[in-house]
Amino acid sequence: MTDYEIAIEVDARGAFCPGPMMELIKAIRQAEVGEFIALLSSDEGTRVDVPAWVDKAKHELTALINEDGFDRYIVKKLH
Amino acid sequence: MKNIVIIGGGFSGLATANHLARKINRKKVKITLIEPKEENIYEPEYLFWVFQDKPISNLLKPISKLLSKEVNWIKNIATKIDPEKNIVTIENGKNILYDFLILATGARMAQEKLDAYCQTDNVCEFYTKDGVEHLKEKLMEFDGGTIVITPTTVPYKCPPTPIEFAFLLDKYLRKRGIRHKSTIRFLYPLSRAFTMAEPAKKVEKLFAKRNIKFTPFFNFETIDNENNKVLSLEGEEIGYESLIIIPPHEGQDVIKDSGLGDREGWITTDRYTMKHNEHDNIYAIGDGTNLPVSKSGTVSHFSSNILVKNLISELKGKPPKAKYKGLTICFILTSFKKSMLLHFSYNYPPKKYGLNSTLLFGLFKKAFKFAYFKFLIKGRL
Repeated sequence: MTDYEIAIEVDARGAFCPGPMMELIKAIRQAEVGEFIALLSSDEGTRVDVPAWVDKAKHELTALINEDGFDRYIVKKLH
Repeated sequence: MKNIVIIGGGFSGLATANHLARKINRKKVKITLIEPKEENIYEPEYLFWVFQDKPISNLLKPISKLLSKEVNWIKNIATKIDPEKNIVTIENGKNILYDFLILATGARMAQEKLDAYCQTDNVCEFYTKDGVEHLKEKLMEFDGGTIVITPTTVPYKCPPTPIEFAFLLDKYLRKRGIRHKSTIRFLYPLSRAFTMAEPAKKVEKLFAKRNIKFTPFFNFETIDNENNKVLSLEGEEIGYESLIIIPPHEGQDVIKDSGLGDREGWITTDRYTMKHNEHDNIYAIGDGTNLPVSKSGTVSHFSSNILVKNLISELKGKPPKAKYKGLTICFILTSFKKSMLLHFSYNYPPKKYGLNSTLLFGLFKKAFKFAYFKFLIKGRL
């Protein structure tokens, strides 16, 4: 079940530089408070980086969905 | 007669214009470049220019000597694009019609934000000519204390640059005999010191060896000029005697005003074909795109070749089948002489052969200026 509307979707599959985390940070800066961002990443390191950063920056990792060959991270901007 | 209009005469616009001029039938296609500036500057050299006494004339070339005579150059600023009517409006109000448009508008240094950050003269940057001159003076006056280095936004041009600056600063302060009373702090948005895992390990090892202090997960928020502190999105505060920032980058106003970009004005571009995501007769190239790749000269070079192939196919009535696969080659200087070389694409991470810092890669980095003006910007490779 999804109860969020994605405001910004970032396809960072195959992105090594600046990479998925940087793409997420860029999207967070662009988003309004309360909006949801979808980040698509095929990089395994992102599974560690995104939850760690979202926790430190006090946003919300709303969902992590494993799809065919990549992960979809749904992040809500909280402040 | 088909009209191809290119907006922007930085590296990407010039290289693409020159490359097209070589490849197409000039009787059937007219190429127009819109660019107000008279000169092109070799920006990668800014980094060296901070630490060395080189005349700026070494970095500049007049566009008149770089641009093919077959290209019609309009020395003006594009202010609006109407993608439905295929019209570019320039500052004097004149409308220019196009069949194909190439957006090579580049990244904009957000001067108004930069001015707000640089209220005291101990906040410096080295991404503009004036910034380099100012930083050079401040470094000569510097006699010890804490120097903090941080990007202010992502993305920014040439991702390794702040790391390279930290390495060169370390060497410079040692040469001046004041390294022992100086602290270099490197603040970075990620959990590691660079975007990619393997090069980041090498960088962190060298940081430790050279006593460059690294603070992870620091996303610049603002500067407290009164108290000489830099503040992060994550809520940290770090004090400094001197702060060196990578200026805030944005897309250009013409992109924002014409509804051709994302919320910051980065052009929404197909990562493979180099076409605009919504307009079939618009292509985009270079630092102004929203592609998930480095904003760097080699990305522009390799993707420009794809753009030209696809556009020529379309002019011949064929589908644009060439694909940019994210090929990137870039350097991370670790001293004035040595460099790492990163060679990667959408499909593979940096190749191992380039991850050791060597004199050879350092020479490649220095030789790049010659290739830039002699071949690359002229669309010859």
